[in-house]
This record gives sequence, C-alpha cells and structure tokens, in this order.
Amino acid sequence: MRDRRSALTVAAVAAILGLLVVVQLRGQTGGSELESKSAQELTSIIANQNDANDRLRAEVATLQTQLAELQSDRATGVTSVGQIESELGRIRAWTGLDPIAGRGVTITIAGEIDASAVDDLLNELRNAGAEAIAIDDMRVIAQTAVGGVPGSLDVDGFLLRDPFTIRAIGRPEVLVGSLTRVGGIIAQLSATNPSATVDVKPVDDPMVLPASKRDLVPDHGHRRL
Amino acid sequence: MTTIAARIRAIPSWQITLGLALLALGFLIAAQLAAEGPRVRYTTQERSTLVEAAVGLQTQQSELKSRIVALRKQITDIELQGAGSKEVIKDLNTRLDEARIAAGLFPLTGTGIVLKLEDSTEPVPPDGNEADYLAGAADLRTVVALLWQTGAEAISINGERLTTTTAIIDIGGSVLVNAAYIAGPYEITALGPTDLFVRLSAAPGWEEFVRTRRGSFGIGISWAEPDHVDLPAFSGSVTLRESKSVPTPAPSPTSTQPAGSAP
Repeated sequence: MRDRRSALTVAAVAAILGLLVVVQLRGQTGGSELESKSAQELTSIIANQNDANDRLRAEVATLQTQLAELQSDRATGVTSVGQIESELGRIRAWTGLDPIAGRGVTITIAGEIDASAVDDLLNELRNAGAEAIAIDDMRVIAQTAVGGVPGSLDVDGFLLRDPFTIRAIGRPEVLVGSLTRVGGIIAQLSATNPSATVDVKPVDDPMVLPASKRDLVPDHGHRRL
Repeated sequence: MTTIAARIRAIPSWQITLGLALLALGFLIAAQLAAEGPRVRYTTQERSTLVEAAVGLQTQQSELKSRIVALRKQITDIELQGAGSKEVIKDLNTRLDEARIAAGLFPLTGTGIVLKLEDSTEPVPPDGNEADYLAGAADLRTVVALLWQTGAEAISINGERLTTTTAIIDIGGSVLVNAAYIAGPYEITALGPTDLFVRLSAAPGWEEFVRTRRGSFGIGISWAEPDHVDLPAFSGSVTLRESKSVPTPAPSPTSTQPAGSAP
C-alpha cells in the first residue's frame, strides 16, 4: 500500500514537472523577445519588418523570373550569355566590384570629425536604403573601415582630404530626409563634433561611383557546399 | 562518517527520486515566474495584437529568406550544368561565382574567430544609464570595424552575413542587422587569418573597447578560436532600384584579379 502511494506521488510530481518543462520551452521560443517590448517599440519593429519583407518579396520575384528564363533556355537548348552577363553586372555593381551610377546625395564634411562619426554616417546611409556609397574616390564596401584621429582620418589606410565628400546613391528625398531629420545623425554629429561642418545636398543627376580596387574573394576560406 | 553514509544508504530510493524531482520543480517554477515578469508589465489588448503582427512578419521573413536561398541555389545549379558547354559561358560562370563569393551570396567556411558580447550582469547604479550596461548596435559596429581593420574577410552576427548594404542599428531594444531583429548574446563570427585574434587584441581600439565596455560597465566579452568557422550566405535583396551597373571590360580568361588592399 505504501509502495503504491509512493509511486503515485512520484508520478504526480513527474507529470507536473513535464508540464512545466513544456511551458518553459514554449515560452523560450517565438515571441518571447517581443513580449517584453512596449507598443511604440513594436510599432517601429513592424514598420521596419514590413519594408524589409517588401524588399525580400521583390528579390524573390526577380529570382523567380531569372530561374524561369534559365529553365526555358535550357529546355530549348539555348544558353543565354546576355542573361548571365546581366546577372554578373548586377552583382558586381552591388558588391562594389564595378562602378555604379544613379542619383542620390552628397555630404561634404569640413573640419575635424571622429572616425566613429563618419562610420555612424555610413551606417545611417545604409539604413536609409543607399545602394552604393563612396568617400571621395574610394568605393565603400562591406570591409571598409574608417580610422585615424580627427584631422587625419583614413579610409582603409588612405588619408582623407579636408574637406572630403561622401556620395551615396539612393532616393535623394529619402536619404536627405533620413540624415537631416530632427535629432537625426547630422544633428548628432554637429553636437558631438562642433568644429566640423556637414553640408547635405540632394543630387538628381546620375553620379558615377568608382569600383573598389580590393580583391574581395577571401584568402582564408572557401565556399561551403 | 560511516554513520552518515549508513543513514544515506538507508533512505528509500523513491524518496531520493522525489527529492530530486521537487528540486527541479522548484527551479522550473522560479524560472517560469521570472520569465513572466516583463510580460505582466506590458500586457494590454493592443500589445498582444502588435506582438502577433510582429511574430507573423518574422515568420514571413524567415520563409522569404529560405525561398531566396533556395532560388539562388537552383539558379547556380542550372548555370553549373551549362558551364562546360562553351568557353565563354564557362568563363562567365567562373566570374559569376567569384562575384557571388565577394558579395556574400555563398556560405563560407575557413579559419577565424568567434566573439561573444553579452549584457552586463552588474547592477545599474542609481545615477547610471541602463543603456550603458546593455550590449547594443554601437558595440557591434565597433567590434566589426576593428575586425575589418585587422584582416577579417567576412563577418556574420547571429547568423546574419554582413554585406556592403548592411546597417546595424538599435530599434526598440533589439538590434536590426540586414532585415533581421536579433537579440543578445551577440555572436560575431569572423573569417580571416589564423592570427586574427592576435591582430585584433593588438589593436589600440580593441584595448580601449574592452577597458571601457567590460571594465566600466561589465559588458560580457569573450572569444574562441575554433578549428574552423562557418558563415551563412546573405539571404537579402541585391536588387538595384535606384542605380545601374557601369560595366568594366571583362578580364581575359587567363588574367587574375589584382591583389592588394588599397581601394
């Protein structure tokens, strides 16, 4: 009788334990991170995710068209050189391996400014949808790092002139709006770097940004199949 | 001593099982209560609708990214099948592969390091700023810039590959990398030379970062040098909407890319 009661007790505790493990594990997944955010933060996240998902849908559509054309060419025994060249051109321009042209914005910076402030500016331009950026005649790529001290900044080891100009390709009104909004990056830079002047101008005529001269294929890794 | 051991041996096994189970039960209840804290603070009808919408969008995003990766693989496979047909196609496909590797559109494996940044566990002093005790976008950008400066060739953060258009920003207490919201601890995986960490730790900026962020605010900074590191492919958009390529003449099939690091 006593053994049976013990077994029942252990079984009851084990059942509760199992239930709590499941509840805990479910709580760790999905929206647990979002649950801790305020309505305002969530609204901001949703707006950003909507934009991001729209861009991803456009990419899916582009790739589907490309795949359909390839499959059609293959079925008819034709290999489209033009299509491969077009894809190659798009990826090389996006990566920074080829020059790129388009309208956008110029930002002229004179005086002493921190390397981290320039880095923040590049980050803000990327966030605002810039498709390509150059500092003077140097194309900004993923690996680009701004270093040095105010007065002698360098981009990947190349000294910057004073003044220097950042050119970014994207929708001019969006880029200018994002940079110059109240409390935005330009206002922050002016507050933290009072000896620097930053001049932002939209550019409606196409600018040509140069290609990077760096070899971007890694030496210390290879494609994972 | 022998008396204690004898007493322990005398305890029935079901009592030991029950004791252990109750201990685990207590731990789980405590963990569950702790996890419930922030939810209780914000729970409103409006919020739960917003959370559902955000979770739905995140799910959509994951599906779209998987679709993009799958489509790119299908396209590459078809291109490879036609690779041997003509010399000109073969050359174009070789260049396309190189461009995709440079763009971050292929997953990579190689030598490198993994760095981890975590929120501070130190209590925030009454006159302190809570944000200083959290690992955030500015910390990630600092570490990423230092890694590029010291020889990293490719970087990902929590599975998001960094590319030429990647922004790293704080939004609503999370960090947005590419189109993905990520939460700490942040794992930065960098592909580079075998002495990448030696180079990084010798950089003055790294010393200052560790001193200010770990020394002053207790931000968790750790690293590992595994045998190899794996980086995922970029699964976002490479569509040019506002710009167009200005092609450069194709190199002859026998020429090589210019080596060097100067832009």
